Amino acid sequence: MESSELKGGKDSQISDELSELRMESSELKKAKESPISDESNRRSSFPDEVLDRVISLLNSHRDRSSVSLVCKDWYNMERWSRTHIFIGNCYSVSPEIVARRFPKIRSLTLKGKPRFSDFNLVPQNWGADVHAWLVVFAAKYPFLEELRLKRMTISDASLEFLALSFPNFKALSLLSCDGFSTNGLAAIATHCKNLTELDIHENDIDDKGGGWLSCFPESFTSLEVLNFANVTSDINFDALERLIGRCKSMRVLKVNRGISLEQLQRILANAPQLTELGTGSFTQELAQRQYEELESAFNNCKNIHTLSGLWEVKGLYLPALYPVSTRLTFLNLSYAVLQSDELAKLLVHCPQLRRLWVLDTVEDKGLEAVGSNCPLLEELRVFPADPFDEEIVHGVTEAGFVAVSYGCPRLHYVLYFCRQMTNAAVATVVQNCPDFTHFRLCIMTPGQPDYLTNEPMDEAFGAVVKTCTKLQRLSVSGYLTDLTFEYIGRYAKNLETLSVAFAGSSDWGMQCVLGGCPKLRKLEIRDCPFGNAALLSGLEKYESMRSLWMSACNVTMNGCRLLAREMPRLNVEVMKEEGSDDDGRADKVYIYRSIAGQRRDAPSSVLTL
Amino acid sequence: MELQLGLALPTPNIIKGFDLNNFGFDQIKGFGDKDCVKNKRGFEQAFGNFTEDCKAMPLLLWNGQPNEEEDHKKKSTSSSMDENETEEEDEVVGWPPIKTWRKKLFQQHQPGRVENNIRKVENKEKGRSIYVKVKMEGVAIARKIDIRLYHSYEALTNSLISMFAKHQKCDEDDYTRYTLTYQDKEGDWLIAGDIPWETFVRSVQRLEIVRNSG
Repeated sequence: MESSELKGGKDSQISDELSELRMESSELKKAKESPISDESNRRSSFPDEVLDRVISLLNSHRDRSSVSLVCKDWYNMERWSRTHIFIGNCYSVSPEIVARRFPKIRSLTLKGKPRFSDFNLVPQNWGADVHAWLVVFAAKYPFLEELRLKRMTISDASLEFLALSFPNFKALSLLSCDGFSTNGLAAIATHCKNLTELDIHENDIDDKGGGWLSCFPESFTSLEVLNFANVTSDINFDALERLIGRCKSMRVLKVNRGISLEQLQRILANAPQLTELGTGSFTQELAQRQYEELESAFNNCKNIHTLSGLWEVKGLYLPALYPVSTRLTFLNLSYAVLQSDELAKLLVHCPQLRRLWVLDTVEDKGLEAVGSNCPLLEELRVFPADPFDEEIVHGVTEAGFVAVSYGCPRLHYVLYFCRQMTNAAVATVVQNCPDFTHFRLCIMTPGQPDYLTNEPMDEAFGAVVKTCTKLQRLSVSGYLTDLTFEYIGRYAKNLETLSVAFAGSSDWGMQCVLGGCPKLRKLEIRDCPFGNAALLSGLEKYESMRSLWMSACNVTMNGCRLLAREMPRLNVEVMKEEGSDDDGRADKVYIYRSIAGQRRDAPSSVLTL
Repeated sequence: MELQLGLALPTPNIIKGFDLNNFGFDQIKGFGDKDCVKNKRGFEQAFGNFTEDCKAMPLLLWNGQPNEEEDHKKKSTSSSMDENETEEEDEVVGWPPIKTWRKKLFQQHQPGRVENNIRKVENKEKGRSIYVKVKMEGVAIARKIDIRLYHSYEALTNSLISMFAKHQKCDEDDYTRYTLTYQDKEGDWLIAGDIPWETFVRSVQRLEIVRNSG
């Protein structure tokens, strides 16, 4: 076995994905009972030292899951050498089970709420509180170094508990989380003496002021990653400047909107080693000398490859970025209201761009400039600046999408919000870019057909799944019949995540997806005419998936109860709305596999069947 | 296939066995507003510029022709509305799927937005897309088209025919029974076709397809 083959990589090269948890529940019962000493009766053909070394080189959790299934020896070696654990659904397993199996965890990634909680579809107190995990880990993993949370709830008390319980703690990343305030951040800053990373991104924070940043002690020098773009209150700039000054290894810095251009210039002058920069507000009135100083500061930053922020950007000052733009690989302009000509002028200087996020204010003309200037582009995200303003119709159309596809054949990730699309345009796009792994198209009016032919958008997504054989993630939109889902079920062999809204004609659509798509892991559906027959057609499938979300569909309580009865290893949760009658309809259903049994922290609005 | 159109107000709208009457989400109160996030602490502090009232809005499902006028308007009660928006304003919870914090960014960003709106209006007249509303007599829901996509009256009428074909009565399958009229810059309603196409494009404000009497 070549160690180089096993090392790294997110996707398993070894075998088809095996569900870590399915394996857990059956194999674990056999394997965990025997202590390591019994293993000497059955030597594997490799000396332990070699095997241990090889297995410890594995980074991908999927590869490790596969390896642990081979035999007891390998299972035990793997569990002793695993230092990072990724848990895609915090309720699929309990912290006690994790601690029992893996004694040496130093890094934990936990995801909590269903993704639709980002769009206000999940009740407030739904759960996914990390505290129980922290309590167990404080006892079992006092040497924990990293915690990365997504869509979890974490309180200030938990943050303080974290800061005090883990003396080696190095990296905290909070993405789309809630439940905490800037006081919690202050606790982290105060107590985590070895902190290297503080990444606070897209959270719902109770902002009580900017004093938290001043809590980093004067003796503190280890910070390498600091992202507080999401924390709106003004921080003390002197404190920030001193912090940056003494953290010589800082490579990622993303400030909030309160930082002015003049302050940015001072930061850059002090930290030319940065590789990722998020600016503050890009709109101060600058004198000529100040502008030149800013440009010069950018010029000194030879390592910046990722740029974001640029709030309230003034087109006039964009040229200050030209010195860094030639080396940029990721440019996030999704907070910058730019017109097409402003973007075009900037992109001329960005030939190395791999990832670009923009607002639809750049319009099709701006996207043409993308196609013309960024041949290496791999990822494009176009967000709507004004999703609810229909009176002045603007934004991007199918023309912009097609223009990018002609210029950027390596495009494999797209997120595109638009108000009109055609089947022909999508077919052209995937013909030009057949390597899509992530195709997320959002036609913003629900149920909107091809605006030129008035036909459903079935053929568009048919083209996507037929042409893009590597497709892992798909979000569909527009007027779609069951035909779209027939195509998906039949052709999307590598599809793992599917998001559906306002689509389909009957149960058959969902049945096609559940009957096909062998690698499906996450299915989220809202406002579709799928009912119990569709729900129940996926019985065994759900155990090989992480989760299913269905809201505003035709599923009833009885259907859910039947599912829960037939599949005891699934948690079937129904979220009831306040004041709605118990008329049998299941408004929001969230189904997921678990080896931890029913969760005990569900609020009263969540019924576990 | 039969398409059905939903109109705004709390009219139950049955689409292929899908009964919307049972939508009763608490959260139908406008996007990301205070009521949606009752339990979040300091929400107003973090994103404090909200003056909108939270109105209970009906949840609607579309399964038919697009109508950009009617859906997804988020209007603060203090903003002005022109007469075209008197109809139905309905909102769909959590749609389009944009994260709440991102929506907040642009609500906070008022000055830039106004500036941007002005720029948008200018752009409208600079030879980019020119959007005009098209109404067909007897059809409640209008469409919006980009008149710059077309280069002749014939192209325009062909496209309109395919857009509105569903609304013809079955005993009238001859489209010449309809007349295309337009409102010009002076506010007068005229029959389309009399003036050169380019002049027409510069002066058309709105279109209406009227049935010939008789």
